[in-house]
Amino acid sequence: MKEEVLIRGKIRNRGKIQDRERILNQEKVRELKALEINFCSINGYKLLTGTIAVILVVLTAFPFLIMLSVSLQTMKEIYAPELVFIPEKAQFVNYVNAMKNGNWGRYMFNSIYITTIVVIISLFINSMTGYVFARINFKGKNLLFILLLVGMMIPPQVTMVPLFIMMRRFPLAGGNNIWGAGGTGLINTYTGLILPFIAGSFGVFLCRQFYMTFPKDLDNSALIDGCSRFKIFVRIYLPLSKPVLASLGILKFTGTWNEYTWPLIMTNSDSMKTVQIALTMFRDEAEVIWNQLMAATIISSAIIYILFLLLQKYFVAGILAGSLKE
Amino acid sequence: MIRSMKYEVKEIKKPFPYFLTKSPNMSKRRISRDDISAYIMITPFFIFFVLFVIVPIGYNFVNSFTNYNLGKTRDFIGLKNYINLFSDKNFLQSMYNTLIYAAFSVVPLMVLGLISAVALNGRSKILHVTRALFIFPYITSMVAVSMIWLYLYEPSTGVFNKILLGLGLKPQNWLFDEKLALSCLIVMNIWKNIGYVMIIYLAGLQSIPQELYEAGKVDGASDFKMFYKITIPMLSPISFFIFVTTMIEGFKTFEQVRIMTGGGPVNSTTTIVHQIYIRAFSEYKMGYASAMSIILLIIIFVITMINLKIGKGKE
Repeated sequence: MKEEVLIRGKIRNRGKIQDRERILNQEKVRELKALEINFCSINGYKLLTGTIAVILVVLTAFPFLIMLSVSLQTMKEIYAPELVFIPEKAQFVNYVNAMKNGNWGRYMFNSIYITTIVVIISLFINSMTGYVFARINFKGKNLLFILLLVGMMIPPQVTMVPLFIMMRRFPLAGGNNIWGAGGTGLINTYTGLILPFIAGSFGVFLCRQFYMTFPKDLDNSALIDGCSRFKIFVRIYLPLSKPVLASLGILKFTGTWNEYTWPLIMTNSDSMKTVQIALTMFRDEAEVIWNQLMAATIISSAIIYILFLLLQKYFVAGILAGSLKE
Repeated sequence: MIRSMKYEVKEIKKPFPYFLTKSPNMSKRRISRDDISAYIMITPFFIFFVLFVIVPIGYNFVNSFTNYNLGKTRDFIGLKNYINLFSDKNFLQSMYNTLIYAAFSVVPLMVLGLISAVALNGRSKILHVTRALFIFPYITSMVAVSMIWLYLYEPSTGVFNKILLGLGLKPQNWLFDEKLALSCLIVMNIWKNIGYVMIIYLAGLQSIPQELYEAGKVDGASDFKMFYKITIPMLSPISFFIFVTTMIEGFKTFEQVRIMTGGGPVNSTTTIVHQIYIRAFSEYKMGYASAMSIILLIIIFVITMINLKIGKGKE
């Protein structure tokens, strides 16, 4: 009796599996047919867009391939009158030499340190503020929200001059007296490099949009249980906000890592240089050592590329979210 | 439960300035316990926000009426900075350059971005990988991109001149040529940002209902005609958005100018932000640079306002 049931079950399962396979096969055939149609009915439109796309792909990849190739060439090959695409012998030693050209361990540390702190603090602050704007109807909410939207519009290039003066005259820092005179303030400090990056209001907006989609009953039931607003945010909302935090975190990470202007203004000592500033040092030399420069370029961008390959989905979501801010 | 869900939907569908519409019981009531926790929770963010975004803007404004130069003197000189701006040849040149740079970046970016989005719209693995390739330049830092293109443009050992020589053509001076330098920067800018435009167009393409194309097919429309009559009109709000954002990005151009050309040759590539940088950080004319920043802010503000106005009109 038992066996019979088992066998029947197996037969039924097998039937199901066969069904599934059949459906899958049908889908494959359909896809293939679609492909066939795509390839067979090559009309002018598809030919045109396809050709342009192929050309664009080649043009997009070309500078990267050159970068990779040059980073593995000898200077002799670079100075040769004709274009060398594949180096005779890959010179991995260029990467080692590039890192010896300046205190790269220190530059890497600076960049990683600044970026990590910016990402952690801004993620927490932004999501908390975003939660408040999404869920609590406090007095003055509309006004503050408009202020926030206006702040999103202000480009950092406009505030760089006053911010520099403020940082230089920061009271009681870097030898300044209480009126902010006498010393160098926060120039050449990590604090000075980090602070302005945390202030952006886009993250708040992004988190608010995300939390608006949560059901309100989530809060109400927790409030009835006597949970405080902060606890609701930390215990309920934060654990649920992985996607938005991943997207925002990546945006903040790339933004801070790639930033050039602010470190350029804020640092003048070698020990405070970030990776991006260090890269430009190769250019300042009398004769540019191209192979080392390209090697350093690859190393400095590698962390972003690895992040992108691992978290592509969140990257794209972040870029799109940035585009839908209105 | 159901009622609250309905409420949510309504809230999302409100007209654009939804944050301006007051809920009836909001205007006159006392501060509650909820309010206090809200204030406490937003305080950390607003400390940063006010200190590093709002205060600098105000400070900038005040500064733009002074002759502050990081020294001891700081006198109010009225509108003199602004008046001087409009007879400053360097600044006028930078305005012109920035406008040319932005305008000539935007159109090719939109056309090429749309074409690559249309060509790469699909689910197969190859398309997926190709799309990822286009995003690489966008996520690479401007410094790294500048370094790569510096080598490409290099007159003596660079790639472009080697190719030109190989084809038997006359090599160019690229970034050292007064007439070519700005175009060189524009080409690089297009290369860097195509991926961004493509991603946004792809999202737009996927939001166009397929029925439109099916209906078009039934009516016997050719692909060209459908692209012209369905795709482009359906994407027009997105095109407008891309137009505005890439325009604004163009007005913020600084890094590549500072790294690649330093504004030269003969000021042919200097931009507004580059002028601000030079005045403020190599001549220490902080008041004058602040006045420039205010002009830049006004330009960006106007573009954004036009965007909001037209964007609202379309909905």
